[in-house]
Amino acid sequence: MTDFVLRLLRLDRRVIFLLIAVATLLPLLYPVSLPIRVSPEVQRVYDYMEKLPAGSLMLLSMDFEPGGKPELYPMAVALLRHAFQKNIKVLGMTLWPAGAGIAEIAFTEVAREKGKEKGVDYVFLGYAPGDASAVISMGQDFHAAFPADYYGTKTADIPLLQKVRSLRDMQYVMSLSVGFPGIDTWYVYGKEKYGFELGGGCTAVSAPRFYPLLDTGQINGLLGGLRGAAEYEVLLGVKGKAMAGMAAQSATHFVIIFLIIVCNALYFLTGQARGRQR
Amino acid sequence: MSAEVVIGAWVAVGLSLCMYSFLYKDNPFFKFGEHVFVGVSVGYLLTITYYQVMTNKLYIPMTQQGKRWLLVPAFLGLLLLARFIPSIAWLSRISFAFLLGISSGLAIPRQISSFILKQVEGTLKPLVTVGDGGVAWMTWAGLNALLVLIGVVSVLFYFFFSLEHTGTVRRIARVGIYFLMVSFGAAFGYTVMARMSLLIGRFDELMLYASASYGYATPVLLVAMIVGLWWWERGQERKT
Amino acid sequence: MLFWKRTFPLLLTLLLGITFTAQYYVPHPASESLLTEVSVWGQIISGFAILLGVGSLIRSHYVKIKRREAGWGYSGVMFLSMLIMLGAGFWSGGKTEGTSFGWLYSYVFVALQGTMFSLLAFFVASAAYRAFRARTPEATVLLVAAILVMWGRVPLGEHLISGIGSVTEWIMNVPNTAAQRGILIGVSLGGIATSIKIIFGIERSYLGKD
Repeated sequence: MTDFVLRLLRLDRRVIFLLIAVATLLPLLYPVSLPIRVSPEVQRVYDYMEKLPAGSLMLLSMDFEPGGKPELYPMAVALLRHAFQKNIKVLGMTLWPAGAGIAEIAFTEVAREKGKEKGVDYVFLGYAPGDASAVISMGQDFHAAFPADYYGTKTADIPLLQKVRSLRDMQYVMSLSVGFPGIDTWYVYGKEKYGFELGGGCTAVSAPRFYPLLDTGQINGLLGGLRGAAEYEVLLGVKGKAMAGMAAQSATHFVIIFLIIVCNALYFLTGQARGRQR
Repeated sequence: MSAEVVIGAWVAVGLSLCMYSFLYKDNPFFKFGEHVFVGVSVGYLLTITYYQVMTNKLYIPMTQQGKRWLLVPAFLGLLLLARFIPSIAWLSRISFAFLLGISSGLAIPRQISSFILKQVEGTLKPLVTVGDGGVAWMTWAGLNALLVLIGVVSVLFYFFFSLEHTGTVRRIARVGIYFLMVSFGAAFGYTVMARMSLLIGRFDELMLYASASYGYATPVLLVAMIVGLWWWERGQERKT
Repeated sequence: MLFWKRTFPLLLTLLLGITFTAQYYVPHPASESLLTEVSVWGQIISGFAILLGVGSLIRSHYVKIKRREAGWGYSGVMFLSMLIMLGAGFWSGGKTEGTSFGWLYSYVFVALQGTMFSLLAFFVASAAYRAFRARTPEATVLLVAAILVMWGRVPLGEHLISGIGSVTEWIMNVPNTAAQRGILIGVSLGGIATSIKIIFGIERSYLGKD
């Protein structure tokens, strides 16, 4: 018995890999739709966006690389859809060099879907180097921070940016962040001085550390991971990638919970067995 | 479906499977994928730096807005690269000194304000509220505020290494440990959530490319990868 | 020469550190213009810092090829991929939409980085099975909190036990907030102390070796 339990405890990790692969694959092949409850932190972002009048300026900083795409791209798409539906003007950018391509794809795809015009309804500014320097520079003099947009067009010639002088002109700033630089950078070097309202979206792995900022109102809402994106899709009433992934997310979580319970049960069994042998 | 999309799907699937082959064991397919990844990352970063930084932030303001003085930060930037030439590597210190001096100076007051004062303020919430209905003692919100206060103080006690952890200090620090354990548990739960989301994202794409419109890229290349690994394994056995 | 090599960088850090700490408290137009200009400079210099990082990587692979070290062929693959990406980038003028550069970005870079990060899902599962054991009361608390959060943050969990979502929310908003706040305050104090040490030349590892 003890030998069997010990063998189970030393299970080849490739068996666990296979279990996870199957748990991910099956719900994607045979999706089951379950209701998704919306958490207050996501609701607050949605409500704030809802209250913004048409023509308001929103800055969407997509501070992530392709590695964060599965969690943050659906958020970006949902937020852009919401903004364009409400005729909010969106300025896009990234503090991560490798994120420029993915951010541009999100902007062009959603703008095309909603029939929005570049330079009039939205602007994609591209990559801003320097983390804190970039945010401060935008707060001090927007056009000095971005002399040209992603495509090399002078920002002074872009109609949407004619009246933009600083971050103070933004009605809302959303940072979708995979790490540092991200939400913290926008708060510490941006909101703290330039006083705009700030919301955040982040990968699930970094979500727990933003709860203190949420509690103090330093960020007005938070979309945490794929679940956060799915909740936003529920509020928008549009089934997107995040909602589709929730069944697989459920299955994999339960596989991990099962593994933890099994390994602990086996651990105690072997402990008791060792105790009896003594 | 255009040819470039279908070819793209085959390339993406092939490279993804090269990376996943690591789950079996370290092998040449994984190493190939890994080095292609490093190469394209470097190529992408260099291109973005050239167009988004050198052109947009330096060349355009200097040539079209007359900001010739931007040659100074450009020169400081070039000095950073002196680190590659041992005889003049010390010149890069000037640029590092410039960057670190500014970033440290900018960080100190802002960090104090954002992460210390604001957070202390957020911890000190009223435990008793006075409203139209009179004084409300120990509401649910008040209880939570008290728990947060106890948690923050005890965690800070735990981190306070210059104080010997004995007697009351030890007991308070132990409470801090339990708060930390709950938070680390939550963080683990969220980490699992994040990692699984990434897998879901990739599998979702691989499933899309498994369809007839993409020429069954995923199943075909999966079989090819298994055969390739088997072939490589056989070669390894022969060598030994 | 020693002045330029050691004293000057330390003096420069001291001067700039004190100036920009003070700048926060003196929002005079002159000090604001200084901040505006210097933040642009910071952006430009940081752009060159990317080249520094990339250059180090290129150099290490170049040395590997030159010395014919084990696996040097893979370094060749790295150089070839880099040159193809660079060529496509300059050919497309840095634009991604509908270009070969965009194609390589979407089907090679995004696919590879996404897959590389997704590998972690398998290893986190394996680690959960091997290392996550209730050996002590502290470990048990951690384990229970992890299970509650994993259970309560997915629709199936909420479907099986209604109200568990609220328990998860409470964990995140109360004990997690308290602990993370303690960590945040502690880390910030540490960061501020490091910044002060840099400004006053106590921490000078950035100068490197002589």
